[in-house]
Amino acid sequence: MDAKLIVFGETSLDKLLQWLRSSGEPKDIREVLIQYLQILSKSVTEDSE
Amino acid sequence: MTVASFQGSASQQELAAEVFQLMTTQGALFAVDAPIRQSLDNLAEFLSGKYRRDRNEIAADIDAALTVNDQVFTREVTEQGVLFITSRQGMYVPRSMVDTHSFKQRLHDPEHPLPVDDISVVVSTSRPAITTVEPVFISDYWQVQAGMAPMTAVPMEAMGHASMVTAVPVSPEFVAEPEPVVVEPVAAEPEPVAVEPEPVVVEPEPVVVEPVVVEVVPTKPEPVAAEPEPAPVPSKPSRETTSERNSLVSLPEGLTINLSLPVEQILADQGERLEQILVHRLDQDTLRRIVSFGRSYYPEASVTNLGKNDLRRIRDYILERNEPLLDTEIIADLYHHLPRQADYEGFRFSLNYRLHREKDFEFVGVEGARLWSTKGLPPIGGKRVKAAEMGQITSYLVEGADNSLELQSAEAIHSTGSITRLLTFFEWEYGVLPFDASIAALIPTPMLPDQRSAVLRFDSPQHYTSYLVEVRYPTGNRGGWLQGLEEYFRDHLVPGAMITISRGAEPNLFTISYEEAAESSDRLLTLDEKKNKFAFANMSYFCAVDADQVPSQTRYGRLKNLKSLPMGERRKSEVVLEHVFEVMGEQVGSRSEPRYLLAMDDLLLAFNVLRPGSRSLLEQLLAHSDPFSNHADGRYLFTPAPRDEDNTPEEVVEEEDLQPTRRRFGRYSDDDE
Repeated sequence: MDAKLIVFGETSLDKLLQWLRSSGEPKDIREVLIQYLQILSKSVTEDSE
Repeated sequence: MTVASFQGSASQQELAAEVFQLMTTQGALFAVDAPIRQSLDNLAEFLSGKYRRDRNEIAADIDAALTVNDQVFTREVTEQGVLFITSRQGMYVPRSMVDTHSFKQRLHDPEHPLPVDDISVVVSTSRPAITTVEPVFISDYWQVQAGMAPMTAVPMEAMGHASMVTAVPVSPEFVAEPEPVVVEPVAAEPEPVAVEPEPVVVEPEPVVVEPVVVEVVPTKPEPVAAEPEPAPVPSKPSRETTSERNSLVSLPEGLTINLSLPVEQILADQGERLEQILVHRLDQDTLRRIVSFGRSYYPEASVTNLGKNDLRRIRDYILERNEPLLDTEIIADLYHHLPRQADYEGFRFSLNYRLHREKDFEFVGVEGARLWSTKGLPPIGGKRVKAAEMGQITSYLVEGADNSLELQSAEAIHSTGSITRLLTFFEWEYGVLPFDASIAALIPTPMLPDQRSAVLRFDSPQHYTSYLVEVRYPTGNRGGWLQGLEEYFRDHLVPGAMITISRGAEPNLFTISYEEAAESSDRLLTLDEKKNKFAFANMSYFCAVDADQVPSQTRYGRLKNLKSLPMGERRKSEVVLEHVFEVMGEQVGSRSEPRYLLAMDDLLLAFNVLRPGSRSLLEQLLAHSDPFSNHADGRYLFTPAPRDEDNTPEEVVEEEDLQPTRRRFGRYSDDDE
């Protein structure tokens, strides 16, 4: 994915939701942020590769 | 139909009747007027077999008999032969396709058309309520140009080449050329850069398009390393730049995230800000897919629902225990969930999330101790002080007049986890402590953005007692305070005592203590609530005190002359200050123009009898109010505004008393006990 198309807090929110749901317990906002950044980085990196 | 109803001879009538019966039997399930067709051949075939007659002969008889009865049978000559058509109602009427009652026709060709000049009744001039946006296909090329779609690499295999062509944006004029792009033979030549390119299937046609930048990716890197002078590849830096540019995410808040960096580095640089933005975006999500309670986030679909019965049970249980309860207590006692269960944290989140949305419950916990209160619980700290009044009285703390960290820094409080402070008369009398900076450094911050209070438990290890203390956090221009320690203060301490508050084992647990001392007795200031007057009374205490801050009769005898102003008046710090000057100050002016001198320490003590106030607050008031000025001996001088009713008989009489003090509120007070 082109980073220009990323809307922080909206793009790939479904993947974040999926991760949160699979974890089975509430997560601290810092953990959520880390996971979200990893999701975004992965989507950008996969595209550039 | 009977035989007699047919025409012709008797034999023709019988034959026609028989054919009619055959055909109507055949179409027994047809509509009454539906056509029933039968060929002459079929009829002749059937009847010749039945009557053992010649087929042609009986065919002629049938044709004749049915033709005579043409009102019943319609004869048609088709390619398949002669057909006879009838219907169950005894005659065949061809269906008319003429539509004489069409809505479409009536709409467009009305029977009584309106006049053409009134066009508004025919054509609406208003726009449709909802405009439909038709999807428009935008080609990949223009999406790339506009930055709407990522640039994709075009494989050269599609053109019969094994290497790749970088899909750099090219000028439209070149794209507009419909001719096929043919790669120059430079890629096929075994130059040092392009190491051993595979046999390229390239048509030996002349080069047609030159401007397309071609990047040849080496497939075998070894020979490149062997080359002493590798030629630079011109398009590689542009690709790196493109990759870096493609990993930059711009946020409307002015931030830019480089997603090519490690996540740890991004968090170290702008983690706090990104947290805030993500929290804001998740809250703004219209679908509310991820919900939060405090810093915890959980999918809304996974939140356990609590019904009315659940909420009623929880409320009843809190009321039964008569104090705010932890969420863990509620779960354990009412739902018997154990922390080792897999869904425990999820259920705990659900409980907190649901209770937070209910108006009957109020969150009064802190991070690490989530307490819930409900309607009907007794107020902590009583009702002597109203929240609105205290919020205004302590507003000086949020207005910058807070010097509570002069003796003990916030870092020291953080590290030691305790504060030591002097107890003033107002604090002792009402059991409240202003939420100044020193207490703010000790007490946990609100867990929720809209949280206005928290309930803490203060243990007294010296007396094995425990007290619920409500923390009212500062909001807006109103200050905060702690309340609920009235009983402890009145039972064990006196004004002027030093107290120590320390953190406990849990985030909501604290200990309160004081330095014990030998018994002392003195006549100390008290407030007679029935008479609403200050007075001195004999008191014994066993705590260490700052002798200068104890409101004893021997040192501060004039304190009893203070009027117990209503709380509404005590909010006005200037009014209280003037009253304190008039009561406690040394009269240095004349009878007609009184002036009062008072030292800061005495002023501070007396001011804190009526309301909390810091030294900074008093200094600000004295510096910025006209009636107050500095005196040569370091004390402060108060010059009241002149009054018209001077030299009244009452004033002359009171002048003889020890300390004639005229109240701002229009009457004089005497000094009698």
